[in-house]
Amino acid sequence: MTQQSLADAVGVTRQTIVAMETGTYTPSLALAIRIARVFECKVEDVFELNE
Amino acid sequence: MNAVEKVAWTELIVSVLASILVLALYPWMGNAALGGFGLLGLLGITPLFLRKRGKQVVRDERDVEIEKLASWFGFGTAWVLLLISMVVITMWHSHLQRDVPTSLLSVLLWAQFALCYAIKGATALVQYRGTNRAA
Repeated sequence: MTQQSLADAVGVTRQTIVAMETGTYTPSLALAIRIARVFECKVEDVFELNE
Repeated sequence: MNAVEKVAWTELIVSVLASILVLALYPWMGNAALGGFGLLGLLGITPLFLRKRGKQVVRDERDVEIEKLASWFGFGTAWVLLLISMVVITMWHSHLQRDVPTSLLSVLLWAQFALCYAIKGATALVQYRGTNRAA
């Protein structure tokens, strides 16, 4: 899956996907859930919390 | 480059160009050069970048956050500098026992307006830096 197709699937711009990948943007809970749904897995399988 | 980045570039370029135009014309035209700030009217075209085209996402939650941060920086800095410069000008002219010329206040207001949009645009562009690379 490309960044653009993921962006289209969850309703954001490609730059936002890039920013999440590079760790410069933390998505909202709603966006995190939408991304997890696209990959058919749990939110914590896609994102991790750096404490 | 997304729509909000285009807005930020427009704000930065128009503000800087207007300021340069006024500075360049001032030695010849004096206060009439302030008309150069009329270029700031071009900022009115920025909503055109945010028009929705089909199913394409024009602005998402990150863009809204960046716009908010850039606005706080731009308006906050301009407001603080405006107040500080007005206090300094008033104190200086009081010290010299002269009236503050209205033309100076006019310059100050226009300059803060340009500064506000320049900082707002620059702040947004810094936030977008590095997120335009391909997959």
